[in-house]
Amino acid sequence: MPSGSLLLQGLALGVLTGGLYALLSSGLSLYFGVMRVVMVAHPAFLFLAAYLTYSLHNKAGLDPLLTILVTVPLFFAAGVAIQRLLIARLAAETMAMMSVLLTFAMALVIEGTLGAVYTGSFRSINPEYATKSLDLFGTQLPYDRLIGFGMAALTLAALFVLLKVTRFGRSLRATIQHPQAARLVGIKTERVTGLGFGVGLATAAVGGAVLAIITPFFPAAHWAWIGKLMAIIVVGGLGSVQGAAIAALLLGVVESLVLVTVDATWATMMFYIFLFLTLLVRPQGFFGGRLAQRF
Amino acid sequence: MTGLGRRFGKPALVLLGAALIASYPWLVPNSYLVYAGVLTMMFAGLATSWNLVGGFTGYVSLGHSAFFGLGAYGTGLLITRAGWPWVLSIVAAGLGVGVFAVIVGIAAMRVRGASFVIVSIALVAAVNLLAQGWRSLTGGSVGLRVPTQYGELTRLEAHYLFFYLFMGLLALTLLTWWFMDRSRFGTGLKAIREDEDKAESLGVPTAGFKVVAFALSALFVAFGGGLYAVWFRNLDPIFVFSILIGSYMVLMSLLGGVRYLFGPLLGAAIVAPAGEFFLLRLGETQIHLTAMGLLLGVVVLFMPEGIIPAVAKLFGLRRPPAASIREDTAEQRATLEEAAVQ
Repeated sequence: MPSGSLLLQGLALGVLTGGLYALLSSGLSLYFGVMRVVMVAHPAFLFLAAYLTYSLHNKAGLDPLLTILVTVPLFFAAGVAIQRLLIARLAAETMAMMSVLLTFAMALVIEGTLGAVYTGSFRSINPEYATKSLDLFGTQLPYDRLIGFGMAALTLAALFVLLKVTRFGRSLRATIQHPQAARLVGIKTERVTGLGFGVGLATAAVGGAVLAIITPFFPAAHWAWIGKLMAIIVVGGLGSVQGAAIAALLLGVVESLVLVTVDATWATMMFYIFLFLTLLVRPQGFFGGRLAQRF
Repeated sequence: MTGLGRRFGKPALVLLGAALIASYPWLVPNSYLVYAGVLTMMFAGLATSWNLVGGFTGYVSLGHSAFFGLGAYGTGLLITRAGWPWVLSIVAAGLGVGVFAVIVGIAAMRVRGASFVIVSIALVAAVNLLAQGWRSLTGGSVGLRVPTQYGELTRLEAHYLFFYLFMGLLALTLLTWWFMDRSRFGTGLKAIREDEDKAESLGVPTAGFKVVAFALSALFVAFGGGLYAVWFRNLDPIFVFSILIGSYMVLMSLLGGVRYLFGPLLGAAIVAPAGEFFLLRLGETQIHLTAMGLLLGVVVLFMPEGIIPAVAKLFGLRRPPAASIREDTAEQRATLEEAAVQ
């Protein structure tokens, strides 16, 4: 039985990792909400952002966290373009399946291109502040994790304000809840959907910058994240941003505790066990609203 | 066409095609092309197996490489650990995977559309994790080596042997598809593809049908994996359990046309050699993935029904009943619903 301090350390790290997971999966909830699209390429875009951060840091000398000033607008525009030019072309009846395949194709294109440009070897960014730890009540909290958690909290707070307070957020939520009714009250749902996609991809730009300082990365790294992030949004309830955030924290803590008590294989396996149990017991997810029930 | 031609024309054409394919290893100039032929034949079998569930029910599984890998590992372990003869190992491993697929299918087939795709991705990720984590049994990420099972044969002769073994498996899978296509079972599955709720309300036992189709498809994929283990003899968990193999099956089926018996075979005949070509030409980098991704994107966007109808349309040969039920006439739809009720 591991000691109490080890468990406390695991719990603390779990919360920090869970916060990061919440940021990384928030985009997926948005895509699913506005278009019922499972965006398999989201993790690939995360690592694309990580590589862009790497290049901007090494070539232009930008601080890794400041690179989001460049990548966020870029990814937002790319997201709008992808939705308007590609995904909107798919036939409505086969949208669920075909969109998966289309975004899967995007993931392959991104991975192949990253491999060709940056080679397959590991890259990492180690700014000075990311190598130290904060000692708090006997637990070691690495600064890079704390920064990641902070960035996640800020981004999710901004997303929350955007969705709840602004006029765009209201029309976006209306589009998610009932597209026909939203159209009837005069919302331009096509435009809103495109912008929603852009916002989702913009979160990938922030997530990529955070990933880049926390972990070494390589072009094929996104595969390991697809399953994890998908498990989070299913447990949370497809299409619910809050649900995914709660599930992310929960799974982050569970993973971390299993990691310190058992081993790394079972820690990752927890995601798939939770996913299968959720589908057996409550296919609509545990924290989602009414929307998730239809899937 | 005369009556005689109509009756025997199609089977004769199929036989001619089979003879042409069977002579392939003897026509090519070097052993690499024979090897590429075996690989293509393997993928043709895998894609056709995938189409048993993907084409009939419309449930797109990106995780079929889980069954491929389990079949391969099961066979390899039975040979190395239990000392079983290889044919028996392949059959036993395949049947074991079939049973496993029934269990997985009962859970996975409860959800539709996007959720099902997520489950299939999670399945292959979980199995991959297990194969790499359970070092004492599987050898972990180092992989599993299977000792040679065909004694005297040289590498090239083994390629010939496995070309015909994979071809036999493909023929078996095609025959299964052909029978299913004409059975009430197949009609029920197609009803699920077009409108699952309606099919269920008309009395199609949708849950059972879906699980049986899923398991049948997994069974053939696992046989393919078993043959691969004995042929290739070096199992790398990252390769056999990669989503990439599963997505190849999807791409091939989709490219050829999921509604056609020979669609996946046609798709495999294009994608597998193209993949090998990209690998040879652009091998050093990962750019072959980009080429594959672009091909998949083009297929999904511009010909989701596959090449067969796309080409037929081009030449004005499109036959009316090939379309989805949604594009069918009311009369055809009534017939189908009648069949589903019976």
